[in-house]
Amino acid sequence: MSMTREAPEFEAVTHFEGSEATIVLSGSVENAAAFALSATLDAAIDRHPTSMVLDLAKLEFMGAAGLVAIANAESRLAASDVVLRVQSPSSLVKRLLAIMEQAETARRERSLPEHAHLGPEQQVEATWSSQRFSSSLGTKDLRRVTAMPADPDVIDGALRLVVELAQSSIAGADGVSVSLMRNGVLSTVAASDQTIMAMDVDQYTTGEGPCVDASFKGHWFHAESLDTEVRWPMFTPRARTLGIKAILSSPLRALEEPVGALNIYSREAESFEVKDQELAALFAEKASLILSDARAGVSDTQMALRFQGALRSREVVSLARGVIMEREGVNAEAAFNTLLRQSLSQGVPLGEHASSVVRSAFRPELASGDGQR
Amino acid sequence: MKEASLDVLGMYCQEAGLSHGELWLRYFELGGMSAGFELEGILCGVLAPSAYDHDIIALAINERLVELGVQPAIPYLLEP
Repeated sequence: MSMTREAPEFEAVTHFEGSEATIVLSGSVENAAAFALSATLDAAIDRHPTSMVLDLAKLEFMGAAGLVAIANAESRLAASDVVLRVQSPSSLVKRLLAIMEQAETARRERSLPEHAHLGPEQQVEATWSSQRFSSSLGTKDLRRVTAMPADPDVIDGALRLVVELAQSSIAGADGVSVSLMRNGVLSTVAASDQTIMAMDVDQYTTGEGPCVDASFKGHWFHAESLDTEVRWPMFTPRARTLGIKAILSSPLRALEEPVGALNIYSREAESFEVKDQELAALFAEKASLILSDARAGVSDTQMALRFQGALRSREVVSLARGVIMEREGVNAEAAFNTLLRQSLSQGVPLGEHASSVVRSAFRPELASGDGQR
Repeated sequence: MKEASLDVLGMYCQEAGLSHGELWLRYFELGGMSAGFELEGILCGVLAPSAYDHDIIALAINERLVELGVQPAIPYLLEP
């Protein structure tokens, strides 16, 4: 018995085997598709399943609304002691679930001691925070990982979600944006509003500002108060005109290369506490994983250089293995094992240990004059 | 036992913040011979690695954990 609901590019198919429900999702869950997903989940829950599995293997992307739909279903099921199991999300969806969980944890931690202070800027949060997003979406079930998403639209969607979650979970954030380098040009791929977009653009046009510096230098920049800030003389007055008082930019990296920044803006000076800075860094780290998976912003040259480096290191390891094979009369596998044990006992990385093994093998007294290395 | 170790590789790869592409490069540097899609299969738990391959992957992830200041956690299968 099955039931199908369709939205553009999105499909949810429910199978019941006795009282055990499996729902297979495919395509992309955003906006309208999220309603279809909610309806499918509700219809299945109304049949009182004893177990429910959500198979995400064919799902390409899930936006905030989709994640909320799942969280809702999960709490409805939990009320009747049924655990919702999420199976086989793609690497991207898995990252998004992790970010979602992190945002939820941050909000929960924050709302406990500070509940009374959560003022009128809570409208975005209300949608989320009433829902429990429990640990059943843990790593245990999230095992199979599918191919990397490379579609820039999908990546942009993921980054918009990061912006949304960062804004709703970082205490001092009045606006958030993500700048990303594509084809050598830095531009904003996601911003919470027009003022924030203008802030980013001002930094690109003046060629200075925390966002530009974080994107190029690869470490974070924090302007605690723009009233006293001196590092960016052209940009700072423009930011003050738009009412921005503090900025925190954390670098985004793809395969360890800086490719952009997660920018958090506040209308109050000194509004980012250490905890907010740590949270911003965590969000930037998660966004970097998404970018690394997609190899965003990494040029062919950078990839080629990284690969060349890898080839060189591999050659040293092979040479060292050969040295051990010769010395101990063992096969390649045993030689690797010897290198491994030696590097562990010396507390140095295997590559480093391999270099010294290769160096130790060179005995100039035996070389007939033309020996090198 | 085999199941558990399959689970461990994929899980720690994620904990170490390594994309599968980056892990493959590190594995390749250490002398690994499997192709990217084979490594993917191993991390997904659909391919069982040899003890030798397992240990190279484990080392690549453990070395990354050390870089991050975390105690390396994956045990090796080859007898010392």
